[in-house]
Amino acid sequence: MSATIEKGINSFKEVIDAPIASFFSSCVHCGLCAEACLFYTETGDAQYTPIHKLEPLRRVWQQEYTLLGKVGKALGLSKPVTDAELAEWEPLVYDSCTLCGRCAMVCPVGNDMTYMIRKMREGMAASGHAPEDLVAATTRAITIGSPMGIKWPAVLAQIKHVQAETGIAVPVEREGADYLVLMSSMEIINFPEYLSALSRIFKQAGVSWTLAQDAFEATNSGIQIGASDLAREIVSRIVVAAERLKVKCVISPECGHAFTALRWEGPNLMGRPFSFEVKHILEVLDELHTAGKLRTKGKDQRPLTYHDPCQIARRGGVIEQPRRLLNEIAEDFREMPDAGVMNWCCGGGGGVSANSRAEPLRLQSFKYKKGQIEATGTQTLITACANCRIVMEEGLEHYHMKVEVIGLTELLAEYLVEEEKT
Amino acid sequence: MKPSEKPGSVGAGLKQRGVTRREFLEFCTAVTAMLALPPSMAKVMAEAISGARRQSVIWLSFQECTGCTESITRSHSPTLENLIFDLISLDYHHTLQAASGEAAERARASAMKDNEGRYLLIVDGSIPMGNPSYSTIAGISNYDMLVETAKGAAAIVAVGTCATYGGLPKADPNPTGAVSVSDIVKDKPIINVPGCPPIPVVMTGVLAHFLTFGSIPELDDLGRPKSFYGETIHDRCYRRPFYDQGKFAESFDDEAARQGWCLFKLGCKGPVTYNACATAKWNDGTSFPIQSGHGCIGCSEPNFWGAGPLYKALSMPVSANTAMLGGAVAAGAAAGVVITWHNRSNKSAAKMAHDKVTVQELTREEK
Repeated sequence: MSATIEKGINSFKEVIDAPIASFFSSCVHCGLCAEACLFYTETGDAQYTPIHKLEPLRRVWQQEYTLLGKVGKALGLSKPVTDAELAEWEPLVYDSCTLCGRCAMVCPVGNDMTYMIRKMREGMAASGHAPEDLVAATTRAITIGSPMGIKWPAVLAQIKHVQAETGIAVPVEREGADYLVLMSSMEIINFPEYLSALSRIFKQAGVSWTLAQDAFEATNSGIQIGASDLAREIVSRIVVAAERLKVKCVISPECGHAFTALRWEGPNLMGRPFSFEVKHILEVLDELHTAGKLRTKGKDQRPLTYHDPCQIARRGGVIEQPRRLLNEIAEDFREMPDAGVMNWCCGGGGGVSANSRAEPLRLQSFKYKKGQIEATGTQTLITACANCRIVMEEGLEHYHMKVEVIGLTELLAEYLVEEEKT
Repeated sequence: MKPSEKPGSVGAGLKQRGVTRREFLEFCTAVTAMLALPPSMAKVMAEAISGARRQSVIWLSFQECTGCTESITRSHSPTLENLIFDLISLDYHHTLQAASGEAAERARASAMKDNEGRYLLIVDGSIPMGNPSYSTIAGISNYDMLVETAKGAAAIVAVGTCATYGGLPKADPNPTGAVSVSDIVKDKPIINVPGCPPIPVVMTGVLAHFLTFGSIPELDDLGRPKSFYGETIHDRCYRRPFYDQGKFAESFDDEAARQGWCLFKLGCKGPVTYNACATAKWNDGTSFPIQSGHGCIGCSEPNFWGAGPLYKALSMPVSANTAMLGGAVAAGAAAGVVITWHNRSNKSAAKMAHDKVTVQELTREEK
């Protein structure tokens, strides 16, 4: 068994649904989506026009699902989509699209290019045209349990470290807890501050929470590579654990696509509604804050700005919450241009950061974010996605900028009123 | 002696009638602008026309209502349109000429003989082909008179919708078998000046062009001078902004009509009618139908009278009845069902053919 072009084309035929058919038939070829895409604005290369990245899928739609297309195909007037063509399109579909969804916001006929790229990747993956690095990451996620190859003992080591640092016990496998906390590999390896901050905040707020041994990983490489069968397997681990532990809510960590995978794609992949809620950590923190359970003291004097992670803000609707939290603890909070729903991507979402081939293009495209950060005149950048964070840290280093990137949960924990000490 | 002062020239004739050179230049400038010629052509035109011999013109009227002649002559004196009769020698026109009976016919014969190959033939009215006796002049059928007179003409100007496209006489059921000039004459240049009636200045413009250049102006595919019939009424209509904003009058006496909103829904044919009414206007530039509150009826288009109801919006079906519409809806729905069924089976076949993707299957075997 291996990937074949036939499987890829069959997959294209399978994913084309009513929204995709209406999107393709209503495209007016205005090209406005190009100006919304950072890979186009930073390169000026017309091949990065979002709708163009979908051309092979569009041809399959035309040939298989439109009357004229079928006649044209029968008469041999239109060429079938070839293997070589998909190979040529691979960098457009994976390297130059972060699934950020900005193009969908400017499309005058409301075409959701992100939805289509996500679906198109199904056929790309099935035909063997997914980037090597993403295949490797997905393989690790399926076989080991995490795209970065992390197993439970590594998490356990971090838990011990956090317990020693904070003096707070981290609950594991506690049945009947209100919240199941997930993490991303990035947080386990690079940003241990997250778990530490969370245990302190939850202690103060009196939240009942737990970690699960077999479902600590929130990320979903199946979504990024575009293989729903694999995405389903990965998401089902979380669903099974949440239902076993009878939690009321699963908290998606500071990670963009994990939220999309669990909150929006999850029930569709499983084919049934969840018995629990899914919330992003910022939503939970905002609720605690509103309920008066999360109390802070003092304000950060540094000028701060906030980067909206695309999947959390534009695709996820979590926009007001980080601002309410930031206004509580920041003296000088400055918005970037186009902040909120029209924010500009860090350039590394949707699997781009996991794809080493895309690195030069990603760094070139980071120039837009660089300019935005510079426009605010701040040297402290807050965000709520570990992937955005690492991508921006790399970009800032590449352009020799002295800007510190901090996760919002972590910043919040710094200004927490610690009850023991009072 | 200047050419314009030669006895018998247009210039001399104008002088005799008290038309000043300034007035004449104004006329030439206006005509130049209407014909979309460069401004410098006004002077050229003035010299050419004033030095020219008055052009011999034979005007034949067939199945018509004399409205075209009325349009040309009923302009306010001393307008530019009046001057037309100083530019030409109207040798035969049975409404306007003084001669009658055999004397009138002799005038036509001698004009044809004296100016053979040089005279201009103007025709208004359609020609009955059902029976020659439906319309005769001095015992000569319209068809015979047209063929005979067209033979020696330099060019033919078909004036009015009847002469250009058949007009009212040709309307269904066309009892006289009416046809247009261009249906009969095939070997002469024909300038179509449609309209019921045409705008006077269009007439004078075409004549001035012929006198100046000795040739006919540039025509579109329906034989109309492009300078007058190049754009639709709709494109040059002062109510166009309301159309663009979707502001329509729903009846002739509603508030929207009083506000001067677009008359499209009341059947205005402006969007499909090519004419200069919206720019040249009527009655000495006073107004045009849409400006006085009525939609354009499309009088200068082919099949005028046969192109559907005057008060039905262009977007409404003209001939379909309820049964036909119902049938079309049913046929469309059936086609939709068939296509949907086909597409669905196509998609479910793809679903059936789906092999569960495993990590081993993300790569090619040969890799």
